[in-house]
Amino acid sequence: MNEIQHGFFRHGDNAYLANFSDAEREVLTNLVEQIIELLAERVDHHNDDPLAAMVGITMHDTPPEDEVLLRLLPNAYADQVDASEFRRYTESTLRQKKLAHALAMRMHLQSAVDGIVEVDHDGANAWLGAMNDVRLALGVRLKVEQNSHEELELLAPDDPMRGVYAVYTWLGWLQESLISALMDESE
Amino acid sequence: MVKIKDKVEEELQAIFNNDAPWITIVWDDPVNLMSYVTYVLMELFGFNREKAHELMMKVHTEGKAVVSTGSREEMEHDVARLHEYGLWATLQRGDQTI
Repeated sequence: MNEIQHGFFRHGDNAYLANFSDAEREVLTNLVEQIIELLAERVDHHNDDPLAAMVGITMHDTPPEDEVLLRLLPNAYADQVDASEFRRYTESTLRQKKLAHALAMRMHLQSAVDGIVEVDHDGANAWLGAMNDVRLALGVRLKVEQNSHEELELLAPDDPMRGVYAVYTWLGWLQESLISALMDESE
Repeated sequence: MVKIKDKVEEELQAIFNNDAPWITIVWDDPVNLMSYVTYVLMELFGFNREKAHELMMKVHTEGKAVVSTGSREEMEHDVARLHEYGLWATLQRGDQTI
């Protein structure tokens, strides 16, 4: 995973490139597919009212029980009644937007030529959103808290979480490289 | 009962006082990169880098920051966009304690 040295870099007016190894593309695809699957778990199975389904009203007015899904689809209000009402009308739209980010990232990974991924500004934003969702998911599983990085650095070599933490750190670095490339533009 | 009475009064006040502003709050999160929070605030709200950085630092050091003010509908829209990009955001009446 140390083969890329640059992550994303800017190329011309509206293109951002990154050169990935096959193994890296496989890891990224696998991670983003886990987000796609996780969001699919929350699909509304019981919405028989076609009008409600059409305007995006979901049957979900309680927050997800899964900790990761709850972080991806958080409450918008501290007040539980307001939070439920808002969730009922907006959660399916939020899921669709997150799904669109994840699917765009997967499509770019699959259509890479010689390992080179090329995205425009909108594509870059989709990648940032999707990479961030993956990091949020891994962060929940790793129980990342303020100042917990020192502890995570010291995980035993045989601890399976050590590998997860390595991926989490690498993704943060990749995300940072894309942000730097985008910020150059907005100077 | 007192609580219900307060709640009713609050609702009535809201009905007759449509100008009362609502606020969008971004909360600190140990996963989101500082540069990412800055970038998202620039993209979604059109802040310049300095303003976005200042708000991000407030979130980071104080645990939260108000990033926008307006009608309830506008704040619901802002919160939905922040959630789309994984920032931890909530909205509430501007005169409520955070």
